[in-house]
Amino acid sequence: MGTGRAEVVLRGSYPRGVWIPLLLLVGLLCLGLAAWAGWRALTDRPVILRQLLAGAVIEAVLVVQVVLGLVVTAAGDGPDDPVTYWGYLVTTLFVLPVAAVWAFTERTRWSSVVLVVATVTVAFLQYRLLQVWVGP
Amino acid sequence: MTSGAGRALVAVYGLLAVAATARSLVQVLRDLDRAPVAYLLSAFAALVYVVATLALARTGPRARRVAWVAVTIEMVGVVVVGTLSLLVPSLFPEPTVWSTFGAGYGFVPLVLPGLGLLWLRRTSSVPAEPRR
Repeated sequence: MGTGRAEVVLRGSYPRGVWIPLLLLVGLLCLGLAAWAGWRALTDRPVILRQLLAGAVIEAVLVVQVVLGLVVTAAGDGPDDPVTYWGYLVTTLFVLPVAAVWAFTERTRWSSVVLVVATVTVAFLQYRLLQVWVGP
Repeated sequence: MTSGAGRALVAVYGLLAVAATARSLVQVLRDLDRAPVAYLLSAFAALVYVVATLALARTGPRARRVAWVAVTIEMVGVVVVGTLSLLVPSLFPEPTVWSTFGAGYGFVPLVLPGLGLLWLRRTSSVPAEPRR
């Protein structure tokens, strides 16, 4: 969040052509789900199961990102700053599940608000990963 | 803190508390010598967010007082540090959670204490437990 340096430099064999499309995919899916949840919040409705299924699709792509990161690290080509890199990625994994639990316990419009916050957070963290990839 | 709106506010506070604490731990434990003032300030801010989250999540007069203090510190902190970071950038060579009014966190650090203060004020009109 907000440092000017390229904290994470992924070099060499890292599949850039796979990585960046995956980041964009998650970002777009998150913004789409955020708009959906935002609409339901405005119209005073809670999160529904179909939205959680959409969240599960996003979570699956995030898991693919983690696996890719592990594979590349195992190949000896990991991030320059593993702490920040894995910090972002592992934190991201927990955000949507928390929002899902919220959706089950909070059957009001406020579960939709929480889902908006969660999806925007995941999209922001993806943007941060892209940002540290490209550098200042 | 019994309504859905209040719980959602706690959720967002908790998110910011986790984000600020995690980042601050990395900064203080690994890079403290690079910008001690900025990083210690970030650590302080993170602590205040944790306190505010816990206080807002609880009920009772003491939790409310703590919440008022913590949220007020956040509001003052983001305004003062935000202004200073623009006027005297050399004070903060590395960004803190409050620099440029929390722009690095999507201005959430500026908006959240505003919502917190509004929330505390709105719910304070509800009579609390009887005095002893």
